[in-house]
Amino acid sequence: MSLIGALNIGKSALAVSQAAIQTTSNNIANAGNADYTRQVANITPNRDQQIQQGIFIGTGVNLASVTRQIDQALESRIRASVSDDESASTTESWLSRVEATFNELTDQDVSTQLSTFFNSWSDLANKPQDIGLRQVVIQNGQTVAQSLQDLRGQLTSLQDDIDQQIKALTGNADSLAQQIADLNGQIVAAQGGAAGTANGLLDQRDALLKQLSGLVDVKTVDQSNGVVDVYVGSQPLILGTDNRGIEFDQEVVNGNIETSIKCKETGGTFKVESGQLGALTAVRSSVDDVVDNVNSLTSNIIFELNKVHASGQGLQGFSSTNSTNLVDDATVALTNSGLKFAPTTGSFVVHVTNKLTGLTSSTLVQVDLDGANGNDTSLQSLAASIDGIANISASVSGGRLNIDADSSDVEFSFSQDSSGVLAALGVNSFFTGTDAHDIAVNDSIKTNPSLLAAAKNGEPGDNQTALAIAGLETTSLASLNGQTLEQMYQRMVNTVSTSASASKTSADAAANVRQTLEAQRQALSGVSVNEEAINLITQQRAFQGAARLISTIDEMMQTLLAIQ
Amino acid sequence: MAILPLQLARVSNLLQTQVTQSTIAQTQEQLLQVQNELSTGKKLNLPSDDPGQAAIAQQIRKLLEQRQAYSSNLASTNSKLGEVDTTLGSLSDLIRQAQTIASANVGSDVSDDARQSAASVVDALYNQLMSLGNTQFDGVYIFGGDRSTEAPFVENNGGVEFVGTGTVLKNVVDENASLPFMANGSDIFGAISSRMEGTADVSPSLTLTTRLSDLRGTSGDGVRLGSIRLGNGSTSLTVDLSHADTVGDVITAINNAGVGSITASLSPTGMGIQLTGGGADNISVNEVGGGTTASDLGILQTSGAGAGNSVVGSSLRAEVTLLTPLANLKAGAGIDTAGLIITNGLTTKTIDLSTATTVQDMLNAINGSGAAVRAEINSAGTGINILNPTQGTNMMIAENGGTTAADLGVRSFSPSTQLSELNSGLGVRTAAGPDIQITDSNGVQFQVDLDNLNTVQDVLDAINTAAASAGAGVTAGFSTTGNGITLTDTAGGAGTIDLQAQNFSNAKQDLGLTANAVGGVITGSDVNPIDPGGIFSHLGALRDALRTSDLAAITQAATGLQEDYDRVVRIRGQNGAQVQEVQSRQQRLDDQNVTTKALLSQLEDVDFTDAVSRFQTLQTALQAGLQTSAQVLNLSLLDFLG
Repeated sequence: MSLIGALNIGKSALAVSQAAIQTTSNNIANAGNADYTRQVANITPNRDQQIQQGIFIGTGVNLASVTRQIDQALESRIRASVSDDESASTTESWLSRVEATFNELTDQDVSTQLSTFFNSWSDLANKPQDIGLRQVVIQNGQTVAQSLQDLRGQLTSLQDDIDQQIKALTGNADSLAQQIADLNGQIVAAQGGAAGTANGLLDQRDALLKQLSGLVDVKTVDQSNGVVDVYVGSQPLILGTDNRGIEFDQEVVNGNIETSIKCKETGGTFKVESGQLGALTAVRSSVDDVVDNVNSLTSNIIFELNKVHASGQGLQGFSSTNSTNLVDDATVALTNSGLKFAPTTGSFVVHVTNKLTGLTSSTLVQVDLDGANGNDTSLQSLAASIDGIANISASVSGGRLNIDADSSDVEFSFSQDSSGVLAALGVNSFFTGTDAHDIAVNDSIKTNPSLLAAAKNGEPGDNQTALAIAGLETTSLASLNGQTLEQMYQRMVNTVSTSASASKTSADAAANVRQTLEAQRQALSGVSVNEEAINLITQQRAFQGAARLISTIDEMMQTLLAIQ
Repeated sequence: MAILPLQLARVSNLLQTQVTQSTIAQTQEQLLQVQNELSTGKKLNLPSDDPGQAAIAQQIRKLLEQRQAYSSNLASTNSKLGEVDTTLGSLSDLIRQAQTIASANVGSDVSDDARQSAASVVDALYNQLMSLGNTQFDGVYIFGGDRSTEAPFVENNGGVEFVGTGTVLKNVVDENASLPFMANGSDIFGAISSRMEGTADVSPSLTLTTRLSDLRGTSGDGVRLGSIRLGNGSTSLTVDLSHADTVGDVITAINNAGVGSITASLSPTGMGIQLTGGGADNISVNEVGGGTTASDLGILQTSGAGAGNSVVGSSLRAEVTLLTPLANLKAGAGIDTAGLIITNGLTTKTIDLSTATTVQDMLNAINGSGAAVRAEINSAGTGINILNPTQGTNMMIAENGGTTAADLGVRSFSPSTQLSELNSGLGVRTAAGPDIQITDSNGVQFQVDLDNLNTVQDVLDAINTAAASAGAGVTAGFSTTGNGITLTDTAGGAGTIDLQAQNFSNAKQDLGLTANAVGGVITGSDVNPIDPGGIFSHLGALRDALRTSDLAAITQAATGLQEDYDRVVRIRGQNGAQVQEVQSRQQRLDDQNVTTKALLSQLEDVDFTDAVSRFQTLQTALQAGLQTSAQVLNLSLLDFLG
């Protein structure tokens, strides 16, 4: 045991205290940095020295490591919770935008407009010959058509917004992935291949991983050399220092635009289930469902109303009319000719009225669509049957059926269509179009409200068709499996509002989980300035002690040297 | 509010700030929510605020919206029926006035001049009646039925023709309830009476193209389409008939099913469907899933019919439609197409039906003949009505050498006519003892007593019996072209057949046998013309009787007017009851709306007391949060180190 040895102990204590104070300073400096992980200087005593047999004496202190106070399992749970939280809050905000397009529980929503429209038919039944009431029906019909078109338009532009967002966020995710891959390289270089303590870089990488989790739900695998591999679903996104890339892709499948998130390098689709991107793809497809529902509701309104309307008569008959729905092939059965609405086997009556005598002759036109005997009705054969009726002629041009009276003294009308063929072709129809993208009130009715059919028995003052249409909204329909149009609409709105409400609840829950986990992380890894102040005092005292030790030994050495 | 689980070992500075931030943020968010509730007055601002309650609220809103239609329909109905009531009031006053004039002028002390001036008053009433019948309300002729675009009563053919319809339009006034909003003009003015409706059931037989919607089915409720289970004792199959449109479709579907060798066809009578199988087929037909298709089609056979036996379906009761072929009428027997001779007022038209093939052709031929009559299918779809819509003219429908009128049951005068109906209900006025004496061309005379006879045929029989017992060559018969009794001389003598009244009996003219013999035949006239009666007829008759001072006719017109008065008062009473119903429904609807709106308000509107107290609580919480955080975050050990 020598004084020099003691001096060395003092020296090691000074160095270690300085390092500890530096760690503490670093902690205090980062007290406000949420991504920072509290570091602790681990101090170990130096190896003992045997000065006599069985007697050991300490040789000072050594700085073993400066480590981050971190729970890796907790970190990965936090990443999952960040994914879920971002997913839930994104879902909530977008679904509430979807919900807002319906504008329900106000007096301007589609359901109110539908009521107003059907109520105007009921009003028309009070005075079927009134042109003013007919105009009201037409006006309300246009409002309904416009609202349904707007609804669909708003939903599809919402989808465009979502696509833009997905595109931007995919770019973010890719650049984050690149930074992580780069950091992987720096960490390996800094730590020299060993699982060491490049704490600052590790903190940076953890922060980036958390940001990436907010976008995509990732799984991480730590490798022994310090790199972390990142997987999305079962596919790797980052392997070591290689970022395989993440990109946005859109393709048209069956006329619908479908979006997906793909790997740049392999072109494989990432299965993103959570995070902002997961939420956006899910919301996008649920908006698809809503658009489908709006289209299907609109189709049903068009076809069901037209079926009733096509069998009714206006204040005057037609002198000429064209079908509004095109067929692709006029020579094949109407069921296969590309009509959106399918007619069935049945028949309808054509009334031809001589305006001079007031006498009407009626002819039954059969529609055979049973698929048997090879004699199914095509547009051509239908035109031929109608053409066979005295005083009117029918032809097919450009996939449309044209019916014309042979002279200006003759007009014609239709009734009792059990086949739905008139509505399917768009003859004597109220609405034109096939779904929410092109629903409109028939132009010929707009220009001549007398053609609006309120009657069922051909008398100008009859209101039976108007009554039937007025009750249509609350009539249970076979084509909707016994539902009414009203119920169909309500169910659609309820589905949207229920999922919006559920997303609110799950967003709250996810935020709560995230907060709890982050609180746990803060409890372990966060910096407490008070604690650090205490540490600082301890370390300061240790430094002071070590300095005093050196000065004492110095005095001792001088004492020795003074012996003369 | 979510509270963090704070069983934590240490508290870092960041944790403190994070917790403070999140609690303050949450409290503020909730405050905003309450603030929004308080400022809008609604607790449901978006359906997702509470989807369950929102769904109910939406339904209630829909209900209220629908009730707007009911309410406006009720208001419209109320004003229209009110107008009807006012018009009926004026109408009954008018009839009362005419009756007063009639009774004042029936006495023998009234001078002809006085009657002439009374006649001009009645004429003014007549014109007033026209304008009452053509009353317009809001641009609609209220007595026109569904032909309300044109005046329903027009002067035509020497009378007043009703060109409206008896249809009474209805509108919906509640879920599953509708009320008429007009009155039947033909009922009120007596424009059409049952006397003119076809008496024959001409229900047609089926054809393969008969539409199922035109069948009343065995139950009378139509054919409700679904599936049937067809079996032959060993196998059975479900045959889907839900897409069938015609009888032919049903038959084809059963034949295509190919159960054993069962085939379907029209039954021998043509009124139903028949199933025939091979010798081994024990045919059974059952319903599927609680349907009624098999029974509606009349071929329900729950236990097998026995091997080799056919199932003959009962009548499907097809309705007469415009498109029904004439040959199928009367259960397939068809009707004679020789045609009709229709006389209405001064017009006589012969209607040839030899080229007509469908009911529509026949109706168009009659309606387009210019005889000012209206032919239509009756509302039950079982017969044809030929109506005289003109008050003040007489209509007669006769055969044109065939049996068309009899087949349709529309012949106005025939051997089966009751004597009591003749001459507008005056009947045949007989006297005690023989009523007529007939002399044949050989001078053989016989007398006939026509007391206590019922029908025209009874008269013919009585004459023929008397002629035979007297050995006279006279045959009584009925015209085959035109309507009337014929007396044909078969004696072939030099004289002329002759008929004289006996004992001052009126039977001769009451039977229409006033014409002289032509070519040995006395041809009688139609003494059973059809006049719709009604107010216009009676008022016109009163006017004419006053002009001619025909006291008997004045009395008869007054009697008719009394009937009219009673009818108008009765209809006014019914109308009044309807007005009351409309008003009570309106009242009830208003009451219901109040309750429903209260319910909606409960669901949608905010409870202010509750919201304000929540607001207070949250405000306090926020204040506490801000204060505690301000103090906690300020504390630091560093402040205490010297």
